[in-house]
Amino acid sequence: MSYKITAKKTPSLSLITSLPEDVIIDILARVPRCDYPKISLVSKHFQSLVASPELYVRRSLLNCTEHCLYAVLFNYETKDSHLYILRRKPNCNRCLVLIPSLPVIPWGVSFVTVGSRIYVFGGNDKKYIEASIDCISHTKMMMVFNTETQMWEPEIIKMDTELISINCFYWVVMADKLFTRDLYNSFAYEPTKSKWKMDDMLNSKVWRSACVVDDVLYYYDGDENKIRAYDPKQKCWSVVKGLEKLLPETIDPWWSETVSYGGKLTLFFRKVEMQTSEIWCAEIALERRQGGEIWGKVEWCDHLLTGNFHLRKPLAVVV
Amino acid sequence: MSKSEKKIVLKSLDNEAFEVEKAVALQSQTIWVMCEDKCVGNEIPLENVTGQILAKVIDYCKKHAVVDGDGDESSEELKNWDTEFTKNMDQSTLFNMILAANYLNIKSLLNLTCQAVADKTKTIDEFHTFLNIENNFTPEEEAQICQENLWAFDD
Repeated sequence: MSYKITAKKTPSLSLITSLPEDVIIDILARVPRCDYPKISLVSKHFQSLVASPELYVRRSLLNCTEHCLYAVLFNYETKDSHLYILRRKPNCNRCLVLIPSLPVIPWGVSFVTVGSRIYVFGGNDKKYIEASIDCISHTKMMMVFNTETQMWEPEIIKMDTELISINCFYWVVMADKLFTRDLYNSFAYEPTKSKWKMDDMLNSKVWRSACVVDDVLYYYDGDENKIRAYDPKQKCWSVVKGLEKLLPETIDPWWSETVSYGGKLTLFFRKVEMQTSEIWCAEIALERRQGGEIWGKVEWCDHLLTGNFHLRKPLAVVV
Repeated sequence: MSKSEKKIVLKSLDNEAFEVEKAVALQSQTIWVMCEDKCVGNEIPLENVTGQILAKVIDYCKKHAVVDGDGDESSEELKNWDTEFTKNMDQSTLFNMILAANYLNIKSLLNLTCQAVADKTKTIDEFHTFLNIENNFTPEEEAQICQENLWAFDD
């Protein structure tokens, strides 16, 4: 870390300090989030402003929130998992950067993101049991289930145990319905009717770690190297078109994962160049054309990190 | 409304008088309240704004009043005009514009000027220079913040 700033002793009064605090927060809310650590180095007053919850409320009031991508990566060399953040370098390339302030992420946990938080469920590691990661401060917090009441609320959803086995791995929410899959079947749950139903059409593809953009489910099909889409309203599957150039680049189909990111789709994949493993990421804008075809356009595709990693989970939060 | 009632005089801190259309001036919530309140006549004293800044504020209000009234300019053109308006403003003018927009309560001008400051503060060095703020951290405190935020700095 070689970031150096020199203290400036200027006799003249700073103009910004003459502004009302409310206006200063207004200005800071419009600055990109990745600049906040630098702003906290400006002075103690600015450090406290950057840490204040008020600033993040203002960002969302002014529509200045940003979608941030994270990834939980397992490092084969150190044999542990950490959280990484995707950020832009000054040369405009993107990269994945380790967040050192968080402890190692254990095995056997699942992740859910709500707003600016990443919730970590399950597992045996005491450090993370029922924990959530606050992506504003990159600190670990106590886990909650109902994000409003901060309480576990059991039996909100009753599992129909005659219908569904307990081994449901993948869950998504589309059009106010919950969809899940066990080893053999896919199911839909309607909260208003408190009823589970089999969804045979959804089950006609072996979908895994899917994500949702505009109420359509997307997943990367490693067998056929395609991104598939399922529209629950039409009850039909389709293949996302226009990605014929991108997808052959993914050499390790079981490594790749998709995540929904600010109304777009991002695909993380692995490439091997000169025997070194590289993590790549592509952002794909989606467009529905006449006749229901879904077309993807690659907006950017960057090499993020080099090293022997396993991608456990890509995550998108709003800060 | 008679013709004279359509005009209003704004008087700056340094006693400069500006005669403007009421529709232009009423974009300021503060002036609107003053006009509603019958205590003030046709001349409104603005004790916190200098003539130099007030002239710019009026330019902005004129541009935006015309558009709202006639709708002869596209929002794209207006946006470009706004960008040009703040582009070459020096730091002191920009902050004084923010103070004026805040005092006069002109929401869109406050948004525009706050955004302009945010856009001009891209790096930490610019931040220090631009905001003219004294760094009051000890080297140890500074190192601590850098350590906590390693992810955000370039090595």
